[in-house]
Amino acid sequence: MLTALNKDLKPFEELITKFSKDELKPHVEEHDRYPFGTLDTNIIESGFHRIYDLGFLGIMLPEKYAGIGQGISAMCMMLGHVAEVDASYSLIIFTSGMSQQIILNADADGIAEKIYPIAKNAQEYLVAFPSFTDPGQAAALPQASSSGTGYTLTGKLDYLVLGNFSKWAVIPARTTDSKSYSFFLVDLNDKGVRKSNAIFSLGLHACPIIDITLNGVSAQIIGGEGKGEKYFEATSRIMHVAAAAINAGIMRGSLKEAIDYTKEREQGGKLVINWSEVRMLLANMAVKSKAAELCVTQTCKAIDEKLKDWGQISIASTLHVHDLACEVVTDGVQLLGGNGYMKDYGQEKRYRDARQVQALLGLVPLKKLALIKEIIA
Amino acid sequence: MLARSDVKSFISRFPSFEDETLSMYYAPRMPKAMIKETEELIALARKFNDEVARPLCLELDRKTHEDPDYFPVELVKKANEWGFYTLWIPKLFGGKGYNMPSISYFLEEIGSVCLGIANVIGVHYLGMTGLMMSCNARVTKKILHEVVEGEKRGEPCLLSFSITEPNAGTDVEEVELEAMGRLGCHAKKVKGGYIVNGSKIFISMGHLSKWTVLYAYTDLKRGADTKVSMMVKVGMKGFSFGRHENKMGQRICPASVLNFEDCFVPDEYVLTDPESLKSFTKHPSRDMNMRHIDYVFSISRAAVGAFGIGAARGAFNAALKYANESEIDGKPMVTYEWVQCRLAEMYANVRLGRLTYQEANYANQHRGPYNLLQMKPMYYYLKYMPLWFFNIILAPLLNRSIGTWLMSKWYLDWQKPEDQSLTTGLASMAKFCCTDLGVKNCQMALELMGKAGLRQENGAEKILRDAKLLQIYEGTNQLNRINLFKSIIAPAAPKATFFEE
Ligand SMILES: Cc1cc2nc3c(=O)[nH]c(=O)nc-3n(C[C@H](O)[C@H](O)[C@H](O)COP(=O)(O)OP(=O)(O)OC[C@H]3O[C@@H](n4cnc5c(N)ncnc54)[C@H](O)[C@@H]3O)c2cc1C
Repeated sequence: MLTALNKDLKPFEELITKFSKDELKPHVEEHDRYPFGTLDTNIIESGFHRIYDLGFLGIMLPEKYAGIGQGISAMCMMLGHVAEVDASYSLIIFTSGMSQQIILNADADGIAEKIYPIAKNAQEYLVAFPSFTDPGQAAALPQASSSGTGYTLTGKLDYLVLGNFSKWAVIPARTTDSKSYSFFLVDLNDKGVRKSNAIFSLGLHACPIIDITLNGVSAQIIGGEGKGEKYFEATSRIMHVAAAAINAGIMRGSLKEAIDYTKEREQGGKLVINWSEVRMLLANMAVKSKAAELCVTQTCKAIDEKLKDWGQISIASTLHVHDLACEVVTDGVQLLGGNGYMKDYGQEKRYRDARQVQALLGLVPLKKLALIKEIIA
Repeated sequence: MLARSDVKSFISRFPSFEDETLSMYYAPRMPKAMIKETEELIALARKFNDEVARPLCLELDRKTHEDPDYFPVELVKKANEWGFYTLWIPKLFGGKGYNMPSISYFLEEIGSVCLGIANVIGVHYLGMTGLMMSCNARVTKKILHEVVEGEKRGEPCLLSFSITEPNAGTDVEEVELEAMGRLGCHAKKVKGGYIVNGSKIFISMGHLSKWTVLYAYTDLKRGADTKVSMMVKVGMKGFSFGRHENKMGQRICPASVLNFEDCFVPDEYVLTDPESLKSFTKHPSRDMNMRHIDYVFSISRAAVGAFGIGAARGAFNAALKYANESEIDGKPMVTYEWVQCRLAEMYANVRLGRLTYQEANYANQHRGPYNLLQMKPMYYYLKYMPLWFFNIILAPLLNRSIGTWLMSKWYLDWQKPEDQSLTTGLASMAKFCCTDLGVKNCQMALELMGKAGLRQENGAEKILRDAKLLQIYEGTNQLNRINLFKSIIAPAAPKATFFEE
């Protein structure tokens, strides 16, 4: 995210860089240790209050819900800087952002008010969401039945991000009458919710992900029945680029560590950075990383300015950034040789995290097909 | 149309047609029994995969996360019971004597299920290769005999290979770099042996091996010319283990730090040193050291190529399984053209990569380190000769200095430089092509599987973690690209120099 193109973001940038360095960096290794996904509530709470006070958690939330009402640019800037240190935390913020945006796109005023202005802690504020799922692609979703006063949900939902941490979750489920699905707000402390252990996944280990089974759990519908796809579309169009921003941050971190290491390491009687093939690899990483920054920045601009086809631009540039990221992190490990493969350095984590980020919001090939479908329509 | 002499002259012109199409020339010369033997080994690997590797590999991966200091002692015992640590020890040295090229197919097969387990088996043969290619017949015989005995007694006796140092990784893979590098493992000649000081890092299976092949240098500033290779056994005074690395993948196969502090290694375990090299060759010791390491890597890099294809296959299998079991918009995923095309590409990567390691194997068989054992008459002779013949007639020869002299002459001194270039170049090509394809297929599998691919229990993410190592060890893929250029392409670039920029 190039804040040079958006001067308003500069003060935020300074705050978030400092926060990432002071509060997140010391815990990166510890949070990447098995068993994964057991968030240290104390750390999250202390961090939460700091970033909540700074306004970052409600960065895109309107002021009436105690947010600071910024746009996607601010969100991307923040996610990128956090990801440069530990992308797991970006996933936490991304997931909370997804829930917020679904609620906002559904104009579910009552729900937003019930959560955000009165949340006392991170558990209440960060709303769980299945961030790796495009509910429209899911083979099965929980079933919702209307029970006069509200709804009850029954069935399984896999890969729910923050599922074992948050009080609330935004859950997609199908109602009998509608073709599309709907979103519901569920209290994860309801006794009808069965939670799996934290899932052992490839990356982003500090952020817990679980499977849940719902058994007649009462739920509040978010917006209209059968409108889930519409809300998801509106949300994901914007949030795709937020995923790209995470990967752009990871790339920046990878390039930086590769440069730092090769400037110190000697082989063949000279600093490794002085072998021309090493420089070429670094150059390729730099080209990709810089191009990714620009993709994210300009996409945000296109979204903010509601440029023609901004949704297509958002998906296309995001998919491109993910491709670049997966290449960059692979070379990032490579440039550290054997050390790159070890947990003592940051590169192996980035190698895992970038792929995990690529899988956000559904299958890559299906996103491509959806894009071309829209273009040729 | 053309006279035979003209044909000969045209086809031997650079690039030599034979060198470019080894399989066409050498496949017909392959003893038929080698194929049968290889089939037998593939069947054995598949049985092992069904009974041991597949049921265990994800559980073991999880275990190593729970306890980063977990060592796969039970697994090694199992592999020992299955006879895996003597399969490729030549009969001459008491082993089962399976043909060496077959190890690639075997490791690919196991690697397609678990690269870590494949390495738990395979790296022992890297040690064996380092030992055998030193051409010291007496020490080779003694130590391989221990391996065979260890198998019989149910006490695995494994070999590791220790060349990487904290400040010298790429540098120890190539003598030109070794000459300029910051080496740290010193060997001082004393009466009756050497005293070694220094440490080695990232040594696969270090903690679990009884013997290690160790390189040290009498003059750290002139490492390429003063290398001493020797065998060091666990328990020798001054030899201890350091940390067990915390790796991203292949976690079941430990990588260890080995420390040597005034460690005395008696002459009887010295494989080569500058003096011993002089006894059979007039070539400078630097050239002989390069030839030795080229031989080792010609074999091991082809094998790492096979690991790479194991990874490519594992990823393909995971993606195919997912596509078979999943639906998109109510239709089986495999009915979509785009899915079929992605899977076809992944399959093609497997086949393409395999061809490159097969070419490297053909080079090794006919122009490199297997050239003696895999010659048809020699092959059949060794295969069908009764065991007593080896024990009574040949084995005593190996203990005499004539055994070492003969092996050194054949493998090191008389080796043609152009054959050395061809074998090392093709092994490097196989190494980087196959391992890049391995990582590529992992990436494709994850893209096809989405969140399902991220879950450890589905296997795909583990292959991605495991596969990355393949691009790093046995020389990084950058070094291997440079080696391919240096070994095979350089004649077409007369102005090229190496490691001098
Ligand atoms: C898990 C694991 C197991 C291993 N097992 C063994 C084992 O059993 N035995 C053993 O001896 N070793 C083993 N190794 C070591 C392995 O072979 C080395 O890691 C590898 O050779 C690279 O060396 P390095 O790590 O020191 O990287 P470096 O040599 O420091 O390389 C760092 C980067 O610089 C590049 N580079 C360095 N020099 C040049 C150059 N001249 N030109 C262009 N690029 C250059 C490299 O390509 C790399 O990208 C193992 C390593 C690992 C990680």
